[in-house]
Amino acid sequence: MSTSALGSGGTSHYPRGMANEAIRERRGERQFGRTVLLLVTLGFAAVLAAGLFAATVLLRGQDQAQWVDHTHQVERQVMAIRLTLEEMRSARRGEVLRIAGDSGATYADASARFFRAIDSVGRLTVDNPLQQRNVARMRVLAKRLDSMFAASLLSGTALSTESERERQATASQVQMLANRMLAEEVRLLDIRTAAQRESIRIFFVVLAVCGGLVAFVGFGSVWVIRRYTQELKTSGDQLQLLNDNLELAVAERTTDLQRANDEIQRFAYIVSHDLRSPLVNVMGFTAELDASIKPLTALIEKVDEQLPELVTNEARLAVTEDLPESIGFIRTSTQKMDRLINAILRLSREGRRTITPERLDMGLVARGVVDNLQHRIDELGVAVRIASSMPVLTSDRLAIDQILSNLVENAIKYLKPGRPGEIDISGSIAHGRAVIAVKDNGRGIEPRDHERVFDLFRRSGMQDQPGEGIGLAHVRALAYRLGGTINVESELDKGAIFRVNLPVRFAGEKAKDEESDA
Amino acid sequence: MNATQAVNIVMIEDDEGHARLIEKNIRRAGISNPIHHFLDGTSALHFLYEDPEGPAKSGPALILLDLNLPDMSGTDILAKIKGEGPLKRAPVVVLTTTDDKVEIQRCYDLGCNVYITKPVNYESFADAIRQLGLFLSVIQVPDVAEH
Repeated sequence: MSTSALGSGGTSHYPRGMANEAIRERRGERQFGRTVLLLVTLGFAAVLAAGLFAATVLLRGQDQAQWVDHTHQVERQVMAIRLTLEEMRSARRGEVLRIAGDSGATYADASARFFRAIDSVGRLTVDNPLQQRNVARMRVLAKRLDSMFAASLLSGTALSTESERERQATASQVQMLANRMLAEEVRLLDIRTAAQRESIRIFFVVLAVCGGLVAFVGFGSVWVIRRYTQELKTSGDQLQLLNDNLELAVAERTTDLQRANDEIQRFAYIVSHDLRSPLVNVMGFTAELDASIKPLTALIEKVDEQLPELVTNEARLAVTEDLPESIGFIRTSTQKMDRLINAILRLSREGRRTITPERLDMGLVARGVVDNLQHRIDELGVAVRIASSMPVLTSDRLAIDQILSNLVENAIKYLKPGRPGEIDISGSIAHGRAVIAVKDNGRGIEPRDHERVFDLFRRSGMQDQPGEGIGLAHVRALAYRLGGTINVESELDKGAIFRVNLPVRFAGEKAKDEESDA
Repeated sequence: MNATQAVNIVMIEDDEGHARLIEKNIRRAGISNPIHHFLDGTSALHFLYEDPEGPAKSGPALILLDLNLPDMSGTDILAKIKGEGPLKRAPVVVLTTTDDKVEIQRCYDLGCNVYITKPVNYESFADAIRQLGLFLSVIQVPDVAEH
């Protein structure tokens, strides 16, 4: 990671980069939500479909099993028809030959069972028209057979061979019909078994497909979640990195600012020193010039006395007026320049001074400031009030003292002529910041000059008071130095309120920096 | 004490105007000792240590030193004079525009005898130099190392 890239170009696109990141992340989140929802829905739908299908297949299977069972029942009854027919025959033979039948049953029993079997087949095959037709024919044949048997029994004698043959034929017809019905049932059974097997097969296929689908959805979800988590982690890491870089950039920027500030301080200091040096010459040689006026004046006077025609008016004026006037202007200008340079020096020195925070009761500080100015206050008849409750700060005593005394001094200095001066000093604390306000009823400051008055060498309003425009610049520099701000609220002729906003507790690390500098 | 030997005044001052003003005021204070003026540190050091007429080779000397010189820092010259060598007892008067506390302390730490800030106000400047002149008239300057 190259810090230089961060220091210069990096910072400018931080917010944009972060916004992009956020948008991408949000979009990704939405997409992820949609995908997961889709997958989960798909999965649940698959499981539901599988369940439903399984239930249907199961129900159908049950149905089919029932049908198979039914077919078996029909088969059994058809077999019973065949069996009872045989019984009927043997019972008739037995009764005819007067011997007990094989089954020991009477013909009546056998025939009753025969008809019952036919009836039950009829009942069982209600749904099958083919079998119903067969049953109907069977009934007709059975009745005819039964009456034939009954006739043969009643007669007690052997009947004609013709009737015997007819009976035989009918019996075999019944037999054949039963066989046909059996065959039909076997056919049905085959179909139904096949259908059952088919549905089971389908069931398994569907189950397999659903299983596959569930597995796919599961794997898909896991994959998507994993990928998303990965992305989340990556972007989290990136965010962390950005955050670290930002801190680094801020630290670097702070150091840069500190360095720039130090540079300005040093610059101001060196410049003011080097400006002073030529000033010494200007003032020194001006004094030399001034000193040489005296012998010149003496000479002029002497010549004037002895040889008045030699002295021109110009020469006299030059010595008596022009020279002193020029020297006077040079003097006042250099003196002013000296004051300005001293002001820069003082500000620069103030910036280098070590701040020593201590506990300050602003009430006492304000009292001290007012006491120092008491002489002028009494002279001008100004009423100064200090609020009863003033905040307590931890800050630099000298700086606070200078801020307050500059503000009060200004309030005294710029009173409205003809209006008794009133100055109120108050203070309050809110959110860890103390606000010290100095309010006056003086001549006020035009709103357009509100920023200007804090600039070095700038003044506002009538220039009827001595001063270089240093006080408020100094106050603002001090306030900044203490981590505070200052503003003014004023209108022309309506007084002014200067509010200094300071941290209740001076941030110590800056002081330490300064100490290590000194 | 060698009273017959004149004390040389070595003035190291890059500003000719200042040098002239200083000289004038010293003369006004009634000091007539020879004043050797140097505009930069290199030639001054050469005179102090190498020149046959320089204080290291002959006669006692008093040094007026400005701190802001074009080629080297006045404090470096001060450190050299006050370090080991024939001139370590020679009185040094630092006469400069710098009134920074740290700088003043540093000069005294290095062994400067008097530190005077040049006042911009000419009256006080002239006054300071005159007083320096009075001071110079009573000061006892040690001989350089015997040879």
